[in-house]
Amino acid sequence: MHTSSENIPLIGPKPMPKYIRRSLFPLSIDDPQLGEKAFSSWADAIILDFVKKPGRDWQEDLKSRMPAAIHQAAKGGAEVFVRIERDVAAAELDATVFPGISGVVLKGVTGPEDIKAAAQRLDALEQSRGIASGSLEIDVEVNTAGGVWNSLEIARASPRIGTFLVNEQELCRNLGMQAAPTLEFDPLEYIKSQMITVAISVGGQALGMSYPLSLTQGNVGADALKQAVRIARDTGFKGAVCPHAAWIKVCNEGFRPSAEEAAYYVKVIEVFAEGLKRGMASVPIDGKMIDVPVDLRAKVYLKWAHRAQARDDEKARAHAAA
Amino acid sequence: MFVTPTNPRFIDKAWTRGGDVYILDMEDSIAPAEKARCRTLIRESIQKANKGGASIYVRINKPFVDADLPYAVWPGVDRIMLPKTESAEEIRHADEIITRLEKERGIPPGTIELSAMIESTLGAVNIYEILTASPRKIWSMGGGGGYDMAVNLGIEMFASFDQYAFPINYVAFAAMALGIEATGGVFVPNTSGRVDQGDQAAEQAKALHAAGIHHAGALHPAYIQPLVSGLSPTADEIAWAKRVIDAFDELADAGESVGELDGKVIDKYEYEMAQSTLEWAAECAAKDRYKERAMKKALAAA
Repeated sequence: MHTSSENIPLIGPKPMPKYIRRSLFPLSIDDPQLGEKAFSSWADAIILDFVKKPGRDWQEDLKSRMPAAIHQAAKGGAEVFVRIERDVAAAELDATVFPGISGVVLKGVTGPEDIKAAAQRLDALEQSRGIASGSLEIDVEVNTAGGVWNSLEIARASPRIGTFLVNEQELCRNLGMQAAPTLEFDPLEYIKSQMITVAISVGGQALGMSYPLSLTQGNVGADALKQAVRIARDTGFKGAVCPHAAWIKVCNEGFRPSAEEAAYYVKVIEVFAEGLKRGMASVPIDGKMIDVPVDLRAKVYLKWAHRAQARDDEKARAHAAA
Repeated sequence: MFVTPTNPRFIDKAWTRGGDVYILDMEDSIAPAEKARCRTLIRESIQKANKGGASIYVRINKPFVDADLPYAVWPGVDRIMLPKTESAEEIRHADEIITRLEKERGIPPGTIELSAMIESTLGAVNIYEILTASPRKIWSMGGGGGYDMAVNLGIEMFASFDQYAFPINYVAFAAMALGIEATGGVFVPNTSGRVDQGDQAAEQAKALHAAGIHHAGALHPAYIQPLVSGLSPTADEIAWAKRVIDAFDELADAGESVGELDGKVIDKYEYEMAQSTLEWAAECAAKDRYKERAMKKALAAA
């Protein structure tokens, strides 16, 4: 096989998706079935949401429950994130950041100062709570025009930045757009492409779903969902937040190269290698040009397929162990 | 059109194809084992490829800028193309070397242009700094899309929708804000992924022409004529532009600034558009005449 990373040139654009996070499943820490739902979901990542209970010290309440919730959410081999609000980020970080999470999803980010403040708080929490320094990620949930406008500065604000999540429902509300699938085009096409471009430019990646599911989030059936995932992947998204458990399997299978594609990539690599032996760096397959970037893409995608498989194997081992 | 200097079948015939520009490729169409030999062929390839009156560009390799440029900068070269440009520093570095080589080789200083080929997300978001990095004339090429950008985005190419909505437009806006003509990049579906079909080239040219873009690249000779004719103003467009200018002049003489011609509003904006059409038509005609004379001369000598 030609899939070892040693074969991939280090020059030029960074080609490999940073994380295998095809499906992110939000669950509430107040859900009595949290552990069961997380375990049976097979999601690559769980996003923990919470409600601040009135009449109680909400910080102490969360601190007392969060470690167990993180443990429950991770039992099926999923990465665990906590979603917090930008405007009360410091207090929420104090209450929710514990060992076992991969990072936080910061919602409502409007500028780089939000990221810098959160990163500073994480520095301190990592030190005080026995978490490896610099290991916690900040993922940006974009839901305002400000977040879109400042996206590049946001992405460059900290090395902790991992992914950009496009919350199109809330973004539409913020922009005053009708968040219903009555249009025949994707009204957020440019914004989505911007978030993908910006995220990848700093070595991260973007998560989102293609229109109209990005706005309706309805349960439309497996075929339509499969098609939407394919479009999202061809746009550059590497996964999606799944509002329904039924999305997860389709996302896990769709946000990775298929077996059929992998077989084609093997052919591409072989044909290109043969061409090189004959001194040709550009050879055709069915009229399509196969040259250096196409060969590189084939190698990268094969490795991507193997990493996705490895992630599935990892989750399977976690299930077996549990 | 990109031409491979190491392949006699391509380089020897290139001048007969009628292209406006030939890009002598030292990069992706050259096998690693052929890179060193390719460098030694650039100077003679210039004379071969420009026999029909075409301009000559040379595409060098990003990892070998220092080594490639001394083999790429010669009299007769109009532009150096820097692939996968991602930072202003890359432009400044290439500019320094080209400036030195121009001086050493009797080329008027600053006359060789640079193309920053934007082929990654990092290049796209840094486009403004890249285009303002040097006093030398810098063009943006690649348009923020294409094969390398697809690798960087992690996407399969040739979908039925625009996969590069942001990078292509962002790069074009930055160029136009700086008074640099945008190149490439109006989405036309090509789900077959073929690069050798004239019909596809004609569709691409039509879309670019409608967007006011005058340049496009080709990987196969079948693209050349559809692009050359499709990106030139038509006889109808030229006739209309002349009528608009006449009509607006009459309006101006009468002290008016807005009028009507065949039911369409004529104003300063339409007048300027018409002038621009005639200027572009004149440039195309001059290039065609130049190529025709060169072609006749080359055929007589053959």
